[in-house]
Amino acid sequence: MRLTKTMRWTALAACTALAISACSTSGGKSATDQASGGSGKKGGSISVELGEPQHGLVPQNTAESEGSEVLNALFSGLVEYDNDTSVPKLRVAESIESPDATTWTIKLKDGYTFHNGEKVTAKSFVDAWNYGANQDNAQEALPFFDKILGSDELAPGKGKTPATKELKGLKVVDDKTFTVTLKAPFSQFKTMLGYNAFFPLPTAFFTDPKAFDDAPIGNGPFQMDGKWEHNKQIKVKRYENFPAAEGKAKLDTVTFKIYEKLETAYNDLRADTIQITDKLPVSAMATVASEFGDRYIYKPESGVGYIGFPIATNPAFANADVRKAISMAIDRESITKTIFSGTRKPADDFISPIIPGYRKGALGDVAKYDPAKAKALFTQAGGLPGNTMEIGYNADGGHKEWIEAVGNQLKANLGVEVTYKPFEKFGAILTALGDKAYSGAFRMAWSMDYPSAENYLRPIFSKVAIDNGSNYGGYVNEEFEALLAKADSAKTDEESLKLYQQADDVLIKDVPYIPIYTYMSSAAYTKTVKNVKVNAQGQMDLANVELA
Amino acid sequence: MGRYVVRRIIQAIPVILGATFLIYALVFLLPGDPITALAGEKRADPTVVAVLQERYHLNDPFFVQYWYYLSHLFTGDFGEDYRGNAVVDVMSAAFPYTINLALTALGIEMAVGVTAGVAAALKRGRFIDNVVMISTLMVISIPVFVIGFVLQLVLGVKLKTDYGIDFFPVSFNEEAGFRSYLMPAYVLASTSLAYVARLTRASLIEVMRADYVRTAVAKGLSPFRVVVRHGLRNALIPIVTFLGMDLGGLMGGAVITEGIFNIPGVGHQLFQSVYLRERTIVVGIVSALVLVYLFANLVVDLLYAVLDPRIRYE
Repeated sequence: MRLTKTMRWTALAACTALAISACSTSGGKSATDQASGGSGKKGGSISVELGEPQHGLVPQNTAESEGSEVLNALFSGLVEYDNDTSVPKLRVAESIESPDATTWTIKLKDGYTFHNGEKVTAKSFVDAWNYGANQDNAQEALPFFDKILGSDELAPGKGKTPATKELKGLKVVDDKTFTVTLKAPFSQFKTMLGYNAFFPLPTAFFTDPKAFDDAPIGNGPFQMDGKWEHNKQIKVKRYENFPAAEGKAKLDTVTFKIYEKLETAYNDLRADTIQITDKLPVSAMATVASEFGDRYIYKPESGVGYIGFPIATNPAFANADVRKAISMAIDRESITKTIFSGTRKPADDFISPIIPGYRKGALGDVAKYDPAKAKALFTQAGGLPGNTMEIGYNADGGHKEWIEAVGNQLKANLGVEVTYKPFEKFGAILTALGDKAYSGAFRMAWSMDYPSAENYLRPIFSKVAIDNGSNYGGYVNEEFEALLAKADSAKTDEESLKLYQQADDVLIKDVPYIPIYTYMSSAAYTKTVKNVKVNAQGQMDLANVELA
Repeated sequence: MGRYVVRRIIQAIPVILGATFLIYALVFLLPGDPITALAGEKRADPTVVAVLQERYHLNDPFFVQYWYYLSHLFTGDFGEDYRGNAVVDVMSAAFPYTINLALTALGIEMAVGVTAGVAAALKRGRFIDNVVMISTLMVISIPVFVIGFVLQLVLGVKLKTDYGIDFFPVSFNEEAGFRSYLMPAYVLASTSLAYVARLTRASLIEVMRADYVRTAVAKGLSPFRVVVRHGLRNALIPIVTFLGMDLGGLMGGAVITEGIFNIPGVGHQLFQSVYLRERTIVVGIVSALVLVYLFANLVVDLLYAVLDPRIRYE
């Protein structure tokens, strides 16, 4: 068939038109509405860095840092943590009291409302916790409710259906009061309550939970301004009915701009397109201090990095002296300096430096680099079978360099042959360890859920954490268990802290894992903003930020 | 020609089906469980994992899972990802950005590449020719992400902070509109652009030696008419073939560029989804990309007839 010239060109034009019409993006024009009156001091709008959150913005379904960053702007919990000391302070709660650390009475303040006008009542909390504790709802934060009486009935396990929808341990007394009964005494319960799993939910959530994912209704200083635009941005604006005395937000709007690469966010910060970032790329570490001066924040955050040992499954690592010798043969100072260019600090306690109860240098000899003593102890303890050792790490998190540095030091100082096993990602190591399919040493890290010494001990080293927590080594010590239990039922904070430190001492003696470094958080902001603070979880306190 | 087009479209159906099956199988074979991938750095609660695995049929054998997927697909339902978002929404959010980016890149490739190639061919061995040959060699040998980061730093950051010229946004910015695409599109196009320039040069030099060009010159036609109507038109056939293939490549290969310039497009989404083992999204996007390839090839084949009337379709 012969084409006429016009037919040919029409075909071409049609093809082109088709391609172009398919690609008109929604021209989302977002004007920055300046100073909309309100009682905030200055108003104004800023943008800040964020990574795409993993889950919908439901507090009970968020366990990662990006989602929590947004939730912290949108919600206010019963308690909140001091930006500098991490000590819990009452927020929505008027009082949280217990005579025996088992039954807790929580009274709420007046004046808090959800962004749709609904009052924040005792029921808002009880309903939210019941929802989170129910396994049918498959919420990420489910394990946080397992201290509350009745949680086993809501989460009976695989293949079973919960018989009830309410936690036996939760009772609404009146609009402003509810009680919580725990399975066993737990002195740190009040501290836990600032974690986002314990945020309240409005009744609107329960009629349409799915709608909440992209447009949550919170009770915090900021409310959603439109919906979450996936991979692009989340816009929030000041909530005008937030109780003024409680630190109403000063800015009019904050845009969480979602980035894939930290390098790009950092370049946007330098061009003043965004005003704050609380995560800096490693490539920026050399120059950020000179470029941002005192607008560069550098402080310890909650993470701790370890080398772990599968004590329960591999008898080669069962001797504490072997683990101690390995620890003493590692030069933490040089690893943090040369490999992490100062973005990590050598660890000297199982408890993070930002937590009340941390003791400087608590690890003592265990963390002191002493190749001669290490070698002597290693030989005396019988060494490792075949004089070989394997270290596993996840290849997706930039761990190769430091793990190989550790390996080289062990080769040089102990004379063991070290091999490496990269796992494709972190979940793969966890699965292999959980299935007891991997028995080498492994890289591990922990960052706290709530600022308590207890959170660095029980979730990682206790018996209950073997099945449901993060005790991947299978470490068990009855003395440690007894001290934790005693600390849990202590009457005062000082007493409980002392007992947790004694439990920490047991770990220092046993070295089930060897702490290598603690993470440092680094943030920077432009000249256009002031009052920027970052808390121990590395999150920005946005309500207090003002335009400069 | 109508019959030819219909035949080509019918041929596309088994290709698409085969592609979905292959991609689905490949993502299935990747190690790692999507539910634990979702939990990130913390261990997911075993009870929650079990509930979700049940919900998404993750414990069923491969063919059962594929059947679930396929039966949904026949009703026009692309399914949802493991976070509960509809795949159609995810795709329709991402594709416009990538299409804009790829078409801008293609435009730059055609305009700059062909012009540079023609200039080099007509001034063979002279200064212009050397400039084109050396600069294209350089572009081909520098990795794309280096070009990307350097341009971002120089045009995005330095130009704004040092000279106050805020024309090229550092990262994608909806408000800046088309300007946002210029820098990333250039970076995305850079390598292909170099190839287009070299291809045009070689092809045009070849054609300019042909008898009909000599005839055209002898007839006394203007040099412009000789080069464009008689020379370039015939020289374009291999270039159009390259550009057609490249459109699909530009869309699929935007992973790096979209990452550097933070464009919420398909490349970004695909990378993330492979990492998170989001089977439904990966299969959806890849099938769409296969469609783009097939479509672009069809357009290329039809364009041959426009360029060279001697080519016919039956």
